[in-house]
Amino acid sequence: MDHPSVSSRARTAGPSLSGTPSGQLSAPRATRSLRAAVRSVAELLLERPGPYARAFEQLILGLIVLSVVSVGVEALPGLPAGITRALRVGEILVVAVFSFEYLLRLIAAREKLKFVLSFAGLIDLLSIAPFYLGGFDARWLRTLRLLRLLRVLKLRTHILESSVAERTRELAEKNALLEQAQAQINAELGVARALQLAILPATFPARAGCESAARMIPATTMGGDFYDFIELPGGQIGLVMADVSGKGVPAAFFMAVARTNLRGVAPDYVNPGACLARTNTVLCSQNPLDLFVTVFYCMLDPATGALRYANGGHNPPYLRRADGSVEALSGAGGLVLGAMPDVEFPEHQIQLRDGDLLVLYTDGVTEAFNPADEAYGTERLIDEIRAHGAGTAAGLLERICHSVTVFAGAAPQSDDITLIALSWNRTAAGALQ
Amino acid sequence: MNIQLETLGQTTLVMPQGRLDFGSAPVFQQRLEQLLAGGGTAPAALIIDCAGLDYVSSAGLRVFLLAARAAQRAGTAFAVCSLKPPVREVFDLSGFARIISVHADRDSAFAHLQPGRA
Repeated sequence: MDHPSVSSRARTAGPSLSGTPSGQLSAPRATRSLRAAVRSVAELLLERPGPYARAFEQLILGLIVLSVVSVGVEALPGLPAGITRALRVGEILVVAVFSFEYLLRLIAAREKLKFVLSFAGLIDLLSIAPFYLGGFDARWLRTLRLLRLLRVLKLRTHILESSVAERTRELAEKNALLEQAQAQINAELGVARALQLAILPATFPARAGCESAARMIPATTMGGDFYDFIELPGGQIGLVMADVSGKGVPAAFFMAVARTNLRGVAPDYVNPGACLARTNTVLCSQNPLDLFVTVFYCMLDPATGALRYANGGHNPPYLRRADGSVEALSGAGGLVLGAMPDVEFPEHQIQLRDGDLLVLYTDGVTEAFNPADEAYGTERLIDEIRAHGAGTAAGLLERICHSVTVFAGAAPQSDDITLIALSWNRTAAGALQ
Repeated sequence: MNIQLETLGQTTLVMPQGRLDFGSAPVFQQRLEQLLAGGGTAPAALIIDCAGLDYVSSAGLRVFLLAARAAQRAGTAFAVCSLKPPVREVFDLSGFARIISVHADRDSAFAHLQPGRA
């Protein structure tokens, strides 16, 4: 693959593009640098918007008006010789400046012939040519210089346009930078989200008689849902389902704080209500943004099926009994955590029976909206739990997620959807003892 | 979200309409903060009339909590009234109905805030 490019480079080096033999570089280099200097002067005076271009333009405008007026004055009969001479000198000066300008434009033009033949180029030439051709009276031709006014005005538009183009380019560059920054923020948020999800436990502690599954479908924005399985003294297991108010990075941080505190406090408390009260007090002292979190916390004794729970403002879980009935764990709840210190959380206890299935969820399930703006609601959730019969915990979560997804259709998911299902089997639990 | 205001004597009535969720909560919060800002301009009493409020998410609930606190700081009596069933359910479930004064309608909210005039 290298060969063609090497040979083509060799070819271009041989005949030399500028036709300059390598031994005589000095003279052309001088010409080139002179040309570059002239070109930069041309650019400064003609193209780049700024004080020089403005002054040069004013000069040209003034000379045009002056020269046209002088044509009129020259036509007056019986002019004193002094004035005629002054006009003649003025004409020479005007032509000198115009010629200088013409040359400058010619040098600056990328396509010389195109410039010479353009309307502006022809006008420029016509305004100086009569002077050089001298022989015939070309006074009327000099009035053509008025047309040059058009040219100057056009130039002004050009300068305006080029400055607009420059602004547009600057804007585009800034936009690109913004997009880059946005992409970086999104990538970092993605990492934060992944970390947030990674701290959620993947599996339920192994206990005979317990079969559990957890599922979370995160919303596109960072949310604050979390669940947890906590190993407690005496073989008990703590189950947590929680939802932080709001979304985004603040909610994610508060979620991490809440989860860590609850996890740290839980093993020290034999009562779920006292555990929530303690966690609440800690959260209230670490809550600069006035966020709060709804928490359902229960302690299960896998050996006996005794379930004690307390509710901090969370949606009551459902219990599908082995006989097929579905009931809510709706004993009186307490306040959400983090809103107010020193509140109490009423405690409740129920006895699981062989084959019972417990379903904990967040409002991302029941408040999933469809395109018609209807909420999924608790009725549909209860129907799915009932219809699942004696199926597995994992199967039930699959079923509910599918049902919610189908219901929501094309409507965007605005909140995390989080679920835990836990079935308890007395015979299996007893067999181990 | 559309938020209407009405002043009846010393009491300001705030009437949010539509859905109060993560998207609209900041607007509602800002409005209430303006009304309950310190410096002696806060009204003697403020009632949030929720008759036009269809839905309140947890982010929306937080605004009620912040408003209740701001009212307390400003010395403004604060109450909420006319909650539609889904909104009432959120207030009950979260325990907010126990820390914020919630009333069935405007009249009972007024009666609660200004017992002398009832």
